[in-house]
Amino acid sequence: MSDNAAITVSDVKIRYRIFKKISLLKTILAPYKYKKTELFEAVKGVSFEVPKGQILGIVGKNGSGKSTLLKAIAGIFSPDEGTIDLHGHTVSLLSIGVGFQSKLSGRENIYLSGLLLGFSRQQIDEKLEEIIEFSELGDFIDRPVKTYSSGMYSKLAFSITAILETEIMLIDEVLSVGDAKFKKKSYEKMKSLITNTDRTVVIVSHSSETLKQLCDSILWLHDGEIKMQGSCDEVLPIYEKFMS
Amino acid sequence: MGKMRFFKDVKKFFNYVIFASKAELKSEVADSFLSWLWWFLDPLLYMLVYSFIAVVVFKSGVQYFPVFVFIGLNTWTFFSKTVKSSVKLVAGKKMIVTKVYVPKFMFVFEKIGVYGFKMVISNLLVVITMIGYKVPITWRVVWIIPITLVLFVVTFGFSTIIMHFGVFVEDLLNVITVVLQLGFYLSGIFYSIESIGKNIVGRVPDPFGTMLVKLNPMALVITDLRRVMLYGENPHWVMLIAWFVAGILMSWVGIKIIYRFENSYVKVI
Repeated sequence: MSDNAAITVSDVKIRYRIFKKISLLKTILAPYKYKKTELFEAVKGVSFEVPKGQILGIVGKNGSGKSTLLKAIAGIFSPDEGTIDLHGHTVSLLSIGVGFQSKLSGRENIYLSGLLLGFSRQQIDEKLEEIIEFSELGDFIDRPVKTYSSGMYSKLAFSITAILETEIMLIDEVLSVGDAKFKKKSYEKMKSLITNTDRTVVIVSHSSETLKQLCDSILWLHDGEIKMQGSCDEVLPIYEKFMS
Repeated sequence: MGKMRFFKDVKKFFNYVIFASKAELKSEVADSFLSWLWWFLDPLLYMLVYSFIAVVVFKSGVQYFPVFVFIGLNTWTFFSKTVKSSVKLVAGKKMIVTKVYVPKFMFVFEKIGVYGFKMVISNLLVVITMIGYKVPITWRVVWIIPITLVLFVVTFGFSTIIMHFGVFVEDLLNVITVVLQLGFYLSGIFYSIESIGKNIVGRVPDPFGTMLVKLNPMALVITDLRRVMLYGENPHWVMLIAWFVAGILMSWVGIKIIYRFENSYVKVI
């Protein structure tokens, strides 16, 4: 184990089995029916480490456990076995529209999302203008979010998560939102966020092209297990061949 | 260590809870400018309904009847709305829960903030009617503070536990709705459970009346609020302390199971 690791994942297993919805009425009327539980192990004993400042890309086909693993690293749910250690770093999962209240203004929603992500009022105050400017919403920032077009909505959501930065960023599919111009701008912003040497990043993506441009190393998940791990040049060609 | 985590989390997410409560109240008012009027109109109209039932149908009245009903109704509404909203609380916050970690009992605090604020607003009716009826005030009104504290602790305790089971049990809402309906009738909202002073005759004969006040925390809180506000009497101190301790214990259990299982909620909702 190296000293400068930002993320240490050891022997993590994640199952979707134990918890299933039950109904009191059905339990009383047909108890035997409810005994059946399906076992589904999404992640089957995965270990890896991401050194501080590195960018790791995770590839794999649909249902290979990529997003599940990412959510576990984000702390959204805990692994059934094994541990994930973030060594005290702050973490966020870059995603669209965390807890927006559609009847409130964009400005108020910036505070709501920011507080939810664990930032203080003061930190949000400091970044507020930058977020509004980046989102290109202009006067719309003081109108209710429900009046926004879907493009404006995602612009705001992207700006919040991109400008309120954390030490570890988890990205599920590189976001490209809004119109062509904003798409380019958000991709550039994303790139500058990701390549910042202080920041540790994990990106889940299907696009080998994007990963090749951004990542230091690649982790290939297949059916919940690590199939291959190494540099972009080692892993991606074999992965592409496998998928085609 | 677990206790430390609780206080650390409360501190960390305190601002979020305040902001989210305000946001929820605000978006309620955002639709129609006058919707806050309903925070008064609701208890006012219900009071008229219960006056009709109590005075016309059952031919029984209680001194300061409107104030008497408002106190019971506002307190009960706070409790039952908070508890009921806890059942589907986690599923309702899916957008948040699937994307970022929040200690889930913070949502209960948010609801307590929302309904607590509404209770304060609708309690202006209590103040107004008390002035109207020239209810003599004694120094014992200060006991409102400890009684309200018991109300909050008990409400939080019930709500956290119910929120947890609400994630896994599909038809819990049906059950809770019926139980709350029963609780409404057993809490003495529009009648007095026990006899107070010379003017109030209890409608539930002893020993059941006494048992009800002891075993139903809402009956206790409502009865004691009326005692200190309207009749200048002391609250049931022993039972209040007992329910305070019970409330703390329930909250402790609730927080404990939420910490233990909250990271599995996402897999279910």
